[in-house]
Amino acid sequence: MASTVASEYSNEVKNVPIEHQFNPYSDNGGTILGIAGEDFAVIAGDTRNTTDYSINSRYQPKVFDCGDNILFSANGFSADGDALVKRFQNSLKWYHFDHNDKKLSLKSAARNIQHLLYGKRFFPYYVHTIIAGLDEEGKGAVFSFDPVGSYERSQCIAGGAGASIIMPFLDNQVDFKNQYVPGSHGTERRKAQYLTVDEVIKLVRDAFTSATERHIHVGDGLEILIATKDGVRTEYFPLKRD
Amino acid sequence: MSDPSSINGGVVVAMVGKDCVAIACDLRLGSQSLGVANNFEKIFHYGHVFLGLSGLATDVTTLSEVFRYKTNLYKLKEERHIEPETFTQLVSSTLYEKRFGPYFTGPVVAGINSKTGKPYIAGFDLIGCIDEAKDFVVSGTASDQLFGMCESLYEPGLEPEDLFETISQALLNAVDRDAISGWGAAVYIITKDKVVKRYLKTRQD
Amino acid sequence: MNHDPFQWGRPSDAHYGNYNKKIAEASPYPKMNTQQPIVTGTSVISMKYDNGVIIAADNLGSYGSLLRFNDIERLFPVGKNTVVGISGDISDMQHLEYLLEDIQTENNYDNQYANEEEALKPSYVFEYLSNVMYNRRSKMNPLWNAIIVAGIEDGKPFLSYVNLLGVTYSSPSLATGFGAHLALPLLRKVVDDESDVEKTSIESAKAAIIESMKVLFYRDARSSRKYSLAIVDKDEGLIFEKGLQVENMAWGFAKDIRGYGTQKV
Repeated sequence: MASTVASEYSNEVKNVPIEHQFNPYSDNGGTILGIAGEDFAVIAGDTRNTTDYSINSRYQPKVFDCGDNILFSANGFSADGDALVKRFQNSLKWYHFDHNDKKLSLKSAARNIQHLLYGKRFFPYYVHTIIAGLDEEGKGAVFSFDPVGSYERSQCIAGGAGASIIMPFLDNQVDFKNQYVPGSHGTERRKAQYLTVDEVIKLVRDAFTSATERHIHVGDGLEILIATKDGVRTEYFPLKRD
Repeated sequence: MSDPSSINGGVVVAMVGKDCVAIACDLRLGSQSLGVANNFEKIFHYGHVFLGLSGLATDVTTLSEVFRYKTNLYKLKEERHIEPETFTQLVSSTLYEKRFGPYFTGPVVAGINSKTGKPYIAGFDLIGCIDEAKDFVVSGTASDQLFGMCESLYEPGLEPEDLFETISQALLNAVDRDAISGWGAAVYIITKDKVVKRYLKTRQD
Repeated sequence: MNHDPFQWGRPSDAHYGNYNKKIAEASPYPKMNTQQPIVTGTSVISMKYDNGVIIAADNLGSYGSLLRFNDIERLFPVGKNTVVGISGDISDMQHLEYLLEDIQTENNYDNQYANEEEALKPSYVFEYLSNVMYNRRSKMNPLWNAIIVAGIEDGKPFLSYVNLLGVTYSSPSLATGFGAHLALPLLRKVVDDESDVEKTSIESAKAAIIESMKVLFYRDARSSRKYSLAIVDKDEGLIFEKGLQVENMAWGFAKDIRGYGTQKV
């Protein structure tokens, strides 16, 4: 399949074969975020699934309750995301089977997911992964991963198509970044404090309405999973469908 | 990163308030990841019209001079300062003139019409398509972040001091999530009879 | 000494073992798998209604722009309450047909419960197909298809999609290929939301599907007039209608079209 590649800008006409290869990835849009509170944690995700400019589904959940109070979401290429969720759920099942139904701690889940991701270092899962739940002290915890398994714990994180739109808002409203005590002339930072569930849900809804307004791959619906010591609860709010 | 509009980094944002407008920019000039200067202001004014220019630094400087030249000639001919609405058309046609070899900038116009007293803002793409917004316009390498901040913090009808707080928080938190923006910031609060310019204390990383 | 001049200057077999001729004779190209579809089938369209699901696909097998085969069946019943609709490469479709026959044989063989509690459900068929599709893409050797699985499970309509990348999703109305652009907006006028499903009768659903097949025949150059339609109804079971034709077309406008071709105005 050799053909001529040239344009008015090139000095010489080159004759190289154009290679065409099957592309095993696609981008299915959507966005997710995770926030940790004092005794709870949430992962929220929109329910729109897209390819290019088409809306495949207006309700395709991508945040999952995996058991052991672990919330899980992998956003990006949805086939890889679904495969990763299944592999983690399977891994959790085997952990219970091998260790007499012992509860998997969130930090062990995080380490396990690192290995699932790094295991495909040279053919990666094309996803931004977030997990959330409670740590060993019962405090809210969120971990986030890059496609090949680098991970860190944080108070809040956004992932997916709208991450760059949502993340600075979260810095400002959850971690109070760039906020100072009035009258201190920028010498005294506003003290960090935990948010209540209701405050977090308000912020999440604001974050997603903003992302929906400005990003075509975000919208249709917002599903929030909330993990507390009493278990996992789900809330759904409609978003704009345009 | 050979994309001309993201070599030097930088952002501009403008907002409309009650009988006032605000325009702000960061102060960084870089060469890809290397920070070169922390006093590179991206906001210029021609009479009472303010122009913010993000993008390729050489084009920022060149265009700011082109508009100084053109608005001076306008003043000579018309014997009055150019109004924001008129200047917006001037920016658009100047950019479109170079449709097939463009200046790599994202201009933002802000000002108050001296005759009607109406606050006015507008943004453009690099070839002069006008975005006449009634709330806010953003531009530069942290435009995604600015959209997120403005869309969630902005409300219509803010008084000058509240508008200052809103635009400052929007800018500050946006540039902190962009590696090639920041290193200081300047904010202009423009009312009919007064312009207040403030420099913001920002993160230096 | 070895007197064969072709062996001179080469590593001796005594030291290094036989020279692996495969290396020298290797193809200059990497190993190649399916890189493009050959004979293709166009859109599959489908929707839920209060008592089941409807799915439709035309009977054309295109070879590029040539209308190569005009009696290809692209809807496959699996068991009594599932229909699989396949678009894309026809030979890959026939491989999938073989796989579907195979799981039915496996499930039915020596199984007295095969017609009741161990009957194949749509979700089983879908899970199997989506795993096949994802595994093949992960081997960089995809089956070049987009598939819709439609059926009834536990008294409720089931509808899901999977394609050559292993991407899966489900929605009250689904379509592959051109259908996603031309037909889906028409189907969504009827079932925009899961809550619309229980308000939609079989008649209005069937009318929407028939209308969509007409629109596709109008504007999709790789479509045919002849098509098949399958309904899985909770009460009536599987209804398979073959050899249907797009009817009630309005071609009056055609004589007024100007400017697309070389005709004189």
